[in-house]
Formats: sequence, C-alpha cells, structure tokens
Amino acid sequence: MFDAAMAVVKPEMKSYIWLQTVDGSIQQVEEEVAMFCPMICQEVLQTGLGSSKTYAISLPQRVNPAMLGLILDYCRFHQVPGHSNKERKTFDEKFIRMDTKKLCELTSAADSLQLKPLVDLTSRALARIIEGKTPEEIRETFHLPDDLTEDLCQEEKLEPLRNITDDPRIRLLNRLYARKRKELKERKKLKDVEVEEEPKDERSVEDLLSFINGADGDIKGTRANKNKKKNRRRKDHAKDISSENTNENDKELNPLPSAYHDVNFDNALEASASKHSRTQNLPAINFSPKFEFIDGDVDDDLDPAMKEELDREVEDFARRLNSDWPERMQILSLGQDRRLVPISMNSNGSTHLYTGFDQR
Amino acid sequence: MMECRRKKENQNPNSTFPDEVLERISGMLKSRKDKSTVSLVCKEWYNAERWSRRSVFIGNCYSVSPEILTRRFPNIRSVTLKGKPRFSDFNLVPANWGADIHSWLVVFAGKYPWLEELRLKRMTVTDESLEFLALQFPNFKALSLLSCDGFSTDGLASIATNCKNLTELDIQENGIEDKSGNWLGCFPDSFTSLEVLNFANLHNDVNFDALEKLVCRCKSLKTLKVNKSVTLEQLQRLLVHVPQLGELGTGSFSQELTAQQCSDLESAFKNCRNLHTLSGLWVATAQYLPVLYSACTNLTFLNFSYAPLDSDGLAKLLVHCPKLQRIWVVDTVEDKGLEAVGSHCPLLEELRVFPADPFDEGIVHGVTESGFIAVSQGCPRLHYVLYFCRQMTNAAVATVVQNCPDFTHFRLCIMHPGQPDYLTQESMDEAFGAVVKTCTKLQRLAVSGYLTDLTFEYIGKYAKNLETLSVAFAGSSDWGMRCVLDGCPKLRKLEVRDCPFGNGALLSGLGKYESMRSLWMSDCNLTMNGVRLLAKEMPRLNVEVIKEETYETHQAKKVYVYRSVAGPRRDAPPFVLTL
Repeated sequence: MFDAAMAVVKPEMKSYIWLQTVDGSIQQVEEEVAMFCPMICQEVLQTGLGSSKTYAISLPQRVNPAMLGLILDYCRFHQVPGHSNKERKTFDEKFIRMDTKKLCELTSAADSLQLKPLVDLTSRALARIIEGKTPEEIRETFHLPDDLTEDLCQEEKLEPLRNITDDPRIRLLNRLYARKRKELKERKKLKDVEVEEEPKDERSVEDLLSFINGADGDIKGTRANKNKKKNRRRKDHAKDISSENTNENDKELNPLPSAYHDVNFDNALEASASKHSRTQNLPAINFSPKFEFIDGDVDDDLDPAMKEELDREVEDFARRLNSDWPERMQILSLGQDRRLVPISMNSNGSTHLYTGFDQR
Repeated sequence: MMECRRKKENQNPNSTFPDEVLERISGMLKSRKDKSTVSLVCKEWYNAERWSRRSVFIGNCYSVSPEILTRRFPNIRSVTLKGKPRFSDFNLVPANWGADIHSWLVVFAGKYPWLEELRLKRMTVTDESLEFLALQFPNFKALSLLSCDGFSTDGLASIATNCKNLTELDIQENGIEDKSGNWLGCFPDSFTSLEVLNFANLHNDVNFDALEKLVCRCKSLKTLKVNKSVTLEQLQRLLVHVPQLGELGTGSFSQELTAQQCSDLESAFKNCRNLHTLSGLWVATAQYLPVLYSACTNLTFLNFSYAPLDSDGLAKLLVHCPKLQRIWVVDTVEDKGLEAVGSHCPLLEELRVFPADPFDEGIVHGVTESGFIAVSQGCPRLHYVLYFCRQMTNAAVATVVQNCPDFTHFRLCIMHPGQPDYLTQESMDEAFGAVVKTCTKLQRLAVSGYLTDLTFEYIGKYAKNLETLSVAFAGSSDWGMRCVLDGCPKLRKLEVRDCPFGNGALLSGLGKYESMRSLWMSDCNLTMNGVRLLAKEMPRLNVEVIKEETYETHQAKKVYVYRSVAGPRRDAPPFVLTL
C-alpha cells in the first residue's frame, strides 16, 4: 500500500535548485523560477552546482532571505508565459509598493543577481522618489551623510583615541590630534579668506556645482543650510576637543597631591612669560609613588595598531611638544636634584618613556 | 567607444547601492534641476551623477570654461550652450563681441570624442568650426543652431559631407551668409539617417533635385522645414515621399497652380495624418489655404510667425484645428482673428503675436486689448503669452489674468515706449500689479508702457517665483530696481534698457548677483565708478562694460554682469572692459 502511493507521487515531482543565502540558510526553489535569474542560470550551467542541498549555490552577500523571497515572487510571476502586458504592469506596480529602505535593498539584491528587468523597475521607482526633493530631503530619505567637503573628511581621521586604560601615551596622542584638528580649522579659515581675496583660486565643490548646473536661488538656499549644519558640527568638535583637553589636564595632574592643584599652578604651566617670578612660590613636590609605577613601563612599545595611527604630522607635533619640555621640567623639578629625560619619538614612530629617577 | 570606468577600490562597502545602480537611477532623472539636486546630496551621489550624466546645459558660455566642464562630467554626449546676452536680438550687442564656439570644440575633441549632439543659441559659429565639428566627432548626430551667426552655407556643406550619422540638422533664425543652395547636394548618396531637416530661414534657391533625392532616401524623416524658394508644386512632390511627417515647414506657399496641381497638393496633404506642427506660409495666399484643412486634425502647434494671414483666413483654418495648444501669429490677423482663436482653441496654452512691421507708424492695424481679452475668455489653459500691440489698458490686463490665472510667462510689449493706458492716460502700473498679484506661478515677465516705480514695488512684493524680468523704458528712480532685487528670491536674469536706474540701484543688489545668472543694463544712469565699485566688492562676478566711441568716458552705457567660475574672459575684444 505504501509503495503504491509512492509510485503514484513520483512522476509528478519537479526539478529544484538549491540556493544558500549568506546567513547559511538553504532553500529549494523550482528550477524554472530560479533560472529566471541570469546569475543563478550561469552558476548552474557553468559549475553544475544547485542540484542538491550539499551542493547549493551560494548567493551574493547582498541577497538576504527576505530579499530572495521577494525576488522569487517576482520571478514566479514573470517567468510564466501568457500574462498580458497589462497584467505584468499591474503586478509590477503593486510589487514596488514598499518603503524606501526595502526598495534600496531589493535593488541591490536584484543587481547582484543580474536581474535587469527588476533592477530597472526598482531604479525607476527610486528615481521617482528622488524627483522634486531637496538635497536635505534626499539625505534624510536615504540616510546619507553630508560629506561633500574634503576638509570634513580629513578632520574625521583625527578623532581622539579612546583612553580606556588611562595610558599616558594615548593621552599624548590625543593631545597631538587635538592640536592638528585645531590647525586644520585655522588653515580652513585662512583658506576662506584667501578665496575671498583671490577670485582665481580654485572654487569649492559647491560653487562648481551651482554654476555648472545652472543652479537657481534654491541652490543658494541649500548652500546656506549646508553651511549652518557644518558650523554646528564644527562646534561639536570644538566642544569635544575642549572636553578632551580638560580630561587630559586632570589626568596629567593626577600624580600631584590635591593640595597643589590650584589656579596658580595651572597658570604657571601655561604662562611662560611670567613663570620665573611665580616659580619662587612653588613648594617642593614628591613624585615617588606614581613614578615608581611608570618605571615598570619603561621599555613598552606602542602596539602595532596604534603605531599605524601615527603619521608624519603627529611626529612633528610631538617634536614641537618636546621642545617645550625643558621649561616644564624646570618647573616640576624645583627642589629636586634629579634630571628628567623628555619623551621622544624614535625613527620607527614608536614612543619610549625614559626616566632617570634615582631613589634617595 | 570604451567608457571610462572608475576603480573598484573607490567603492564604499557601506553604500546604499552599487555604483552602477546609483548611476542608473541618476540617469533616469529627466529634469536638470533633479540632476543638480542629486549632485548636492553627498560625495557618493555627486560621483554617481558626475559619471552617469550624458547631457549638459550651460546657460552662459562664459560662466564656466570647457576645461572645468570636462573635468566635472567625463561622459557627456550632448551639449547645449547659450552665448550672447538676449538683447543681442535687438542689436544692442556689437559685432565680434565673442561667444565663439571654437575653443569649446577644441577641448571637446580631446575629452568628448564621442560627442553626438550640439545645440547652440546666440553663439558665434564659423565655417571652420563647422568643418572641425564635422571631422573630429565620428559619432556626431544632431546640430541645432538658433540665433547664431558667423557661418555660411559652406559650413553646412561640411556638415552634410562628413557627418555620416547625422539625424538632425536644425538651422533657425540665424545670421547666415547664404551663398548657394548646393550644400544639399553634399550629402553622400549612401546617407539615409536624417530625421530632422530645417533650413526655413535660408534665402537662396536650393538645389531641389538634391533635396528631393535626400528626402526620398531618408525613410525616418519626421521633421522637414523648407525655405521660401520651395514652390507649392515642389512641396507637393516632397510630401508624396514623406507622408509620415510630424512637423512641416511649407516654404512660401504661393504659386499659380492649375486645377490639377491644386488637386494633387490637396491629396498630398490628405495623406499627412501625423502632422502635429505646421509652420511657414511665408507668402500665404488665401486661395490655397483650403488644401491644408484635411491635415489639421492633429495639429498642436501652428507657427505662423512669418505668415501674413488676415483674420478671415485664420478663422477658417482654425475651425479645422481642434487640438491646437500653441499658436504664433503676426498682428495682421487683427482682433477678429484672435476672437477666432478664442472661439476655436479651448486647449490653447501658448499665444505669441508678433508685429508684422514694428516700425510702421501710419497704418492702423494690429491687435489691441480687445483681441487679448477674447483669447483669454476662450482659452482658460493659457499660461504663456507674448503680445506685441499698439495700445493696452489696465482694465484689459486685469481681465485677462482674471480669466487665465495660471500664467508662467507673461510678456507684454506695447510698441510705443512710455505709452500709458490709452483710455485713462494713467500709467500701466495696475496692469502689471494685477499680473503679479494674480499669477502666483509667474516665472518670466516682460513689462512695457508708461510705468512708475509702483510697478516694481508690486513685482518685488508679489512675484515670488519670478526668474526672468525684462524692463524697457520704465521706472522713475533707483527705488524701482531695488524693490525687484530685494523682493524676488528666485530672480536669475534681469534685463534692463533705457531706464533711470543708477549706481545706487546697481549696488543695492550686491548680495544678489552671485545667485543670479546675469544682469544686463544698457542706457541707464550708471557710471564707471559705480560699476568699478561693484566689481571690487564682488570679485567672483565678471563685470563687463561695453565701451563705444559715442559715449562720454565716465558713463557706463552697456553693463553685463554674470557669475563665473572660469574667471575673466580670455577672449574679450578691445571694446569689452572687464573690471
């Protein structure tokens, strides 16, 4: 009885293609539906894959299970002969009714499967979404960055490193990065002034855009908005830098007894002009407990990842910072007969901290 | 043929789409504004738009250099360029002013060797440039020259001889040296690709045998506009070969015909079932208009701007044009003809009425406020009007815009400068006040008649979508121009001639000119010092004065101001001073 039932079912079985998405899930798809995708068709013909679960075709990364489901729905409908053009058009119009994010994912997935009719359909839908919008609106709809100026990109490379372990070397790097960011801003301001003074200087991208595109007042308004946004971002950066500087100051002064953490001392550190008269009033300072800890790290190098973060300009900053060291040493070493050795960069770009402390 | 392809390394793994998809989407955007918007979104979209763009429009050939253009858009196939200021149409720009296409073509030959289309307006084009164009661009397909000068039929011969893939040759309203009609014979016998042929404004007799052979073998021809020298009999012979035409320019439409010839012509027109645009009739004879009637069923555009029809002839023709959307006529149709337009053209969107003889003072004909009102009553969809007339009233204009509030282009030209409302003798201020108050979509406005500063107060207060304003013989003081500059946020072109606006008005727009395409001021109250101050304050503008001997040295009689990323002109003639 059971064998008889099997015999009846067997002749009706279809051919199937096995497909695997990037998350590892595997599914079985009717052959004529799957082969409607040129990429899958090529894989089957060229490699013979797809005939079993063990030899499933691996789909591109952009095709996740949800997108694959949608694409197969599209293929199921369109690979059937006999639908009228009107029916196909009606199906397409309903098919692309989805939110923009999903439409973007579907476009990418269809493109990776080389399913041109679907790519054209979704691209046209996305073009219709774009029509009539302002740049701001498009950025919002598609979650895009406002990154059209070079300086902004460059500044992003100088984000402070996170100093989880309170490493003095990272504090130093962050201070150097902060200095460079500040210099970039000053250079940018200078560049703006130069642009105003010398009309033949190369224009910003936005100027070229508006002129070449024959832009009207709307673009002018857009540019104003963009400037406003850039200003806000710059302010945020300034705040971050200020906050970072404050943290650095606190950490640097941490070894000192709290009794001496006062305004006069800070002023002495910052005001080189009158430091001589002020130093006379400073009391002796005992560094022993903290510097014993630092002794243990004397031969450590920066780890390779951190080394790669450093570049020539940071080294220049460090050298410039070193040139100020003698003055600071003089302040810090009052009442001491010991010499301190400054932090320096070696030719490989690594940082060594040397101490010559003698225990008495 | 290989397109330049960006390196894969540049692809951003976090991007919304692969580059080819983003470029495809960008390529699907039809409007120039949308393309411009996409390029301002972010760096990735800027690049997608940059690489996918195939056609570019440049509204002023001195606002950008060919080097900047080719650097920005590497894959252009079609270029549209405009040159001289528009007032060159009124002989206000001297000869040899510039706008020569050749330097652009030289750069394009190196960077855009696959250029296919070139559309030029008010540019200077020499025969040498046309020969260069014909020889350097093997894929060249379409040439459109509108209001250009500097070339002759020798240049056309070069194009005909060498452009193997030509589909469009559209020569219209040019200052051309028409040496002979033999250029038509220069198309090779193997040439069959032509779709558009327009030489309506040439004057010489053409080689008709060559034309007939050309028309016979170009099976895709859909636009044919012939010049005056083509007779009705010759037209009939052509039409027999190309009944599929969509656009026809008839030539003179005047000849003594036998009854048989007349019958043959009528039969030829009867077979033209696809005609949507008709122009020509340079010397129309009312006697032969009926042969056209059967071909008018699908007409949407009648261009009779050179056809001296009378009102009766026009009225009888319009009965047969139920789908007309655009009509250009000469004022010989008089008010009665315009009443016929109002009666028979409910779908009309655009009306242009040109003066047959703008300098004729004695003859009492032409159109008046009566015809204007009649059209507005019968054509509620009207949104573009260019109306040359000899008299007008405030009340009539107010009635017109009440009837048709959707005007985007309103150009009224009362032909006698400084003429008031002819009934009340008041200024025409309230007329244009009504226009800008009622027509909120107004983009282009041309004013005329006796006007005080009040007109410009109205414009500054109400015309919030205005992009182009033309002013002649109008205004009372600087205040008028200041109102416009302060009040019209989308203004892109301001054209002023013979108005009392001075340095104060000019300098009041300092914050405005960089967002405008151009400003033209001629025969106003500007001085060289005022214009120099503008140039000093706005270094990114090109401020040019056209110096002519007849003026005092301290006066700036012709001033042209435009924004440019290309810097000062490199080809300015001696009479153009760049400040």
